Amino acid sequence: MLVGSHTWRHLRLISANWAGSAVRSGSGLVFLLIALVFGLSVAHLVLSPVEMLMRQERSQGRQVSRAEVVERIVEAGRPVVRWSLGVKTEVQEAETSPAAPDPFGRSAAVRRDPWSSFLLDERPALLSVIFLILLFGMPFVISFLAFNQFSGDVQSRGLRYLLLRTERGNIYWGRFLGTALFSTAVMAILIGTIALYAGAKIHIYSAGAMALWSVHGFAALAVLMLPYLAVCTWVSAMIDAPFASLVVAKLVIAGVLVFALVGKLAWGPAVYFKYALPWGVQNHLLHPEWSHVLGAVAACLGYAGVFLMLGHRHFVRRDL
Amino acid sequence: METAISIKGVSKRFGRIQALDTVGFDVPLRSIFGLVGPNGAGKTTLFSVMANFLKADGGQVEVLGIDTRRIGELRGRLTIFPQDAQFQRNVPILDQLAFFRRLDGRTRQQAEQEVIETLQLVGLEAMAKRRVGTLSHGMIKRLGIAQAFLGHPEVILLDEPTAGLDPANARQLRDLVKRLQERATIMVSSHNLAEVQELCDHLAILHQGKLIRADAMDKITQSGREYDLVLSRPLQEREVKQLRRLAGVRDIQAVAANGAGTAGELAGYRVTFDFSADHADPDVIRGALFRSLLDAGISPRQFGEGRSLEARFLEMTGGVQAGGIADQEGTS
Repeated sequence: MLVGSHTWRHLRLISANWAGSAVRSGSGLVFLLIALVFGLSVAHLVLSPVEMLMRQERSQGRQVSRAEVVERIVEAGRPVVRWSLGVKTEVQEAETSPAAPDPFGRSAAVRRDPWSSFLLDERPALLSVIFLILLFGMPFVISFLAFNQFSGDVQSRGLRYLLLRTERGNIYWGRFLGTALFSTAVMAILIGTIALYAGAKIHIYSAGAMALWSVHGFAALAVLMLPYLAVCTWVSAMIDAPFASLVVAKLVIAGVLVFALVGKLAWGPAVYFKYALPWGVQNHLLHPEWSHVLGAVAACLGYAGVFLMLGHRHFVRRDL
Repeated sequence: METAISIKGVSKRFGRIQALDTVGFDVPLRSIFGLVGPNGAGKTTLFSVMANFLKADGGQVEVLGIDTRRIGELRGRLTIFPQDAQFQRNVPILDQLAFFRRLDGRTRQQAEQEVIETLQLVGLEAMAKRRVGTLSHGMIKRLGIAQAFLGHPEVILLDEPTAGLDPANARQLRDLVKRLQERATIMVSSHNLAEVQELCDHLAILHQGKLIRADAMDKITQSGREYDLVLSRPLQEREVKQLRRLAGVRDIQAVAANGAGTAGELAGYRVTFDFSADHADPDVIRGALFRSLLDAGISPRQFGEGRSLEARFLEMTGGVQAGGIADQEGTS
């Protein structure tokens, strides 16, 4: 398909207009507020025990060493990280079963669970824990931004003013792009705030390590938002009532995970239902091996591409 | 006759409701074409199909020779004032309209300049910086119309443009439409038959999704062209009979001031002409009537176009008033 210069111009105009409309109409501000409240609450939950620990130690006249604090963080964070990565059972097995000594002197847990060790030992553990929780929680928040890309304008027929001035495809992709740009900007604000705060208050990790890992975390979140945004875009292109669109988007995003987790209790293979959305691959965005990270990025883009194409197919054919 | 819009056997169904049933007619270039019919007749649905908002179940529409399923090729050449479409309430008028114009390839400055000029046409230039949510219903209507006039469209579709406008604004809009006829083909749907009769030179009548008739306004009204006549004194019964015998004069009815027969104070007469006969010249027929009146010593004080279209409309739709059926176009 040839894409003319006017198409690029329209995509640019529509995406910028839509991002501006998201702020003006309030849905963007609501998303910004919810995302910041959620993200900063997570950061607070993770950072405050460390701050408290350091304060306590200082008040008792003890000078806590950096290594000691890191060790305590790692010990506290390890169960959360293992649970998030789904390696709990495997590690527990490794810790309880006798193992041959490692030629490099690594513990059984590290050998069996290099992923957790990477996140907790090789990268700033505080940020790793925050990123993992955000990767889990942000898909539920993103629908507040993306549920009304088309629903409201189809219901109010406001979209009709645009339909004779550009192609339907430009409206569809332009609005998705605007939404994606807006969500990316919000993620940047959130991660930037967390990294600055953590860096300023807790002098445990080097600035370089914090900055690099923050950039990785931001990129992971930005990529992860795309497939969930795409689901919301598809739903919004199908359902005319904004509230119904929001409810359905939330039900789909949460329902897939709940069905997989609850379903596997009754029927083991039901757990694979989580692959209907990126739930099964998204943590690999923080994997120690680049091949896994790139695979997860490709999977997220693939999911986003499929959902967007399905939504586009419906949007260009439907009555508006 | 060059054709601006060609509608060929268009059908559209919403569930069990057949909104359009193989509707087909042509709209001449540079005409003001009226589309009338009772509520639920399919007017809005037809406009929506023409603008490709709705996909027709059958048939096709060509605007300026382009199938509207390839609506992108008509960008900037076809505009519409859609019924009940809402603007974004929180965005200033200027920004919304300038955005539309920028999609047509204008720079921000050019777009804003053109928007101001267009808003002047509908008397909203002072409101340019205001948000839509602060405008009255009538102003929002005029804004929608300004949106349709924005740029240099060759075909403009106006769906109920004067509904909800006060008489002065409705008159202003009609004058504007007439002026635009020099450069554009304009299709107008309306319930106001007197307005359509005054404004349009061609007409299509829809009823229950079917086309009843599409033709030049003169041809539709000529078999029963009504005029309102006010005379210097009341006619006597004998004089009425004489006038009815004139060629081309079908009927003369006294009209009371309250509009109901002759029971009240006499306001004038409704003369119904029949111009449909071969070689019938309306001027000759009207001239003969005036001569007869003057010969009898009666001076015509007022003579104006009556409600010919309404009479024809009622005949063709079986007595259904233009706004007399419950609205079934909510789905369109």
